[in-house]
Amino acid sequence: MTGQPVPQTAPSPDATEAGVRSTQRPPRPRWRETLGLLARNPTAAVAATVLLLIVLMAVFDETLAPAGPNEISVEDRLQAPSWEHPFGTDDLGRDILSRVILGAGVSLRVGFLAVAFALVVGALIGLLAGFYGRWVDDVLMRFMDILFAFPAVLLAIAVLAVRGPGAGNTALAIGIVYIPVFARVTRASVLGVREEVYVRASRSVGASDLRLLTRHVLPNAAPPIIVQTSISLAFAVLAEAALSFLGLGTQPPNPSWGLMLAEGRGFIDIAWWLAFFPGMAIFLTVLCFNLLGDGLRDVLDPRQRTLMAGGGR
Amino acid sequence: MSTVSLGKGGAAAAAHGEVLVSARGLEVHFPVRSGGPLRRTTGVLRAVDGVDLDVYRGETLGLVGESGCGKSTLGNALLRLVPPTGGTVTFDGIDVTALGRKQLRELRRRAGMVFQDPFASLDPRRTVAQTVSEPLEVHGLHPGRQARAARVQELLQLVGLDPAVATRYPHEFSGGQRQRVGIARALAGEPDFLVCDEAIASLDVSIQAQVLNLLRRLQRQLGLTLLFISHDLSAVRHIADRIAVMYLGRVVEVGPAAAVAAGPQMPYTRALLSAVPVPHPELERSRQRIVLRGDVPSPSRVPSGCRFRTRCPDVFEPCPDVDPALQPVGSAPGHVAACHLHGVVGEPVRREQPDSPVDAGDPAARPVA
Repeated sequence: MTGQPVPQTAPSPDATEAGVRSTQRPPRPRWRETLGLLARNPTAAVAATVLLLIVLMAVFDETLAPAGPNEISVEDRLQAPSWEHPFGTDDLGRDILSRVILGAGVSLRVGFLAVAFALVVGALIGLLAGFYGRWVDDVLMRFMDILFAFPAVLLAIAVLAVRGPGAGNTALAIGIVYIPVFARVTRASVLGVREEVYVRASRSVGASDLRLLTRHVLPNAAPPIIVQTSISLAFAVLAEAALSFLGLGTQPPNPSWGLMLAEGRGFIDIAWWLAFFPGMAIFLTVLCFNLLGDGLRDVLDPRQRTLMAGGGR
Repeated sequence: MSTVSLGKGGAAAAAHGEVLVSARGLEVHFPVRSGGPLRRTTGVLRAVDGVDLDVYRGETLGLVGESGCGKSTLGNALLRLVPPTGGTVTFDGIDVTALGRKQLRELRRRAGMVFQDPFASLDPRRTVAQTVSEPLEVHGLHPGRQARAARVQELLQLVGLDPAVATRYPHEFSGGQRQRVGIARALAGEPDFLVCDEAIASLDVSIQAQVLNLLRRLQRQLGLTLLFISHDLSAVRHIADRIAVMYLGRVVEVGPAAAVAAGPQMPYTRALLSAVPVPHPELERSRQRIVLRGDVPSPSRVPSGCRFRTRCPDVFEPCPDVDPALQPVGSAPGHVAACHLHGVVGEPVRREQPDSPVDAGDPAARPVA
């Protein structure tokens, strides 16, 4: 890689050291660099594109769906996939394609809400525990261990039993389950970053703890948290499906992939399409979140980054 | 620890002027904890163990010693980046060990630090401008985005960098350039006192000289007081007005650079100086090297009396029993050393003290690691 030297006005002897590590790249924001690298990772790029399409589908669901979610038509019940009904119809004659499209919004909204809640609370706990250590760490992380020790579904069922079913409460229940995951990932990452010399250097010029945490520790501890977010989204969509399957999440007649899967279960040997298409939607979404997470892990790893940014061109 | 030593501090002060930073009986002890859930304290690591040191305003004091002797910990403790466990530090007459939040921030502005590894000391996610302007933001200097940017440009120029590099990230720079950024950050608050903690140790040799000259120029230009911590004696001789030698957590010899270099009064300093190569073939061949036997004792098991006695070629009768204090030696004013060869001065070892791990008897005894 040929580098254009970083210009210097320094006294002449500096000329020898200029340009050893400089690059031709104009300064640009780091997230754009990340996006650029991600685009060159084919698997992650495809996954991100598919996810974008799913999100767009969820946003424009009313326009895209050929029929309403609850349009019952008795003469059309249990129709196999055809031109008129590409994904077939269910036992009440509702168009499954429309319900899958409209269910995307429910599933994704619950997933995003749950992960956002878990991310904010968990990352904050992990940040404080990792940065301050000692008794703060002990108290917070023992509490997380207690939360972690409950079986995830049992904990979610308990939350829903107390607060009643519904999309918001489902998101809250899943979010609580994932708080310890984010707390642990954040803490582990912060433990490494807080020992960095640049944190001590920043303290040596008088920076406050708040400043150290927000300007130095959190940004540098972020990559594993971002990866965890992506992977947790997959689990959250799955968890929403599971809870709806158990009858605790989304309530009928609202469409949700997990609920449709549960309803289709009884017809599996006479009408496979009832369970198949919602199942495929869950599968595709979860797979894409996982692949994106893997891609992000590669791209955000500084060693990989140097390898790809330096050697790749 | 050694309490007798400071009588002649007065004479030295008269020769040099005003004391800016001063340590008295400074101790930094780290507890050594056992594993397991109880984390019982099983020992004490004496990184800095009773240091008396004065730094005069406007001078460059070189602090030398082998790795692990507590040089860096001392530098950090002077700025309260590591909390001292005993003794006092005063900065311009203010007791640093008892500062409130606001006063501590003011100390952080007036005393800066340049770190050893320029690849680790700059936040990889922040641009040069963000790094250099951090002290300005923290202390509310040059308020306003434009004023700050102008000040950053000024600072970059001051350390010999093109102001145009302000928008770049650290990974785009070489080690020497990064160290210049680190120096610019340390200077941003217009400090009086700068601790350079092995500031050139991890740079290429050709760049070491540049950074050394930069520090010297800045010291003169800005009237800085410099504590230059290094294990590189030739670099210290090049830059320092006075040299302090540290061994196992204690300052064992202090004096004007020329006097210490030409006439070291403590066997350890002598051994240290004899290890420096001479850039002249004939002199180099005739150079007598004093090779010390054994390893540095562990700072968690400090020998009784003189802590150098386990490796000293001149060890004799009082060494294990009396903890030597700094006393005037040689002919140069302000030259002090802690060694019984110049007269037995210091505190007798109290044998019954339970918490001091006494390593009595055999002078060659070495603690088991």
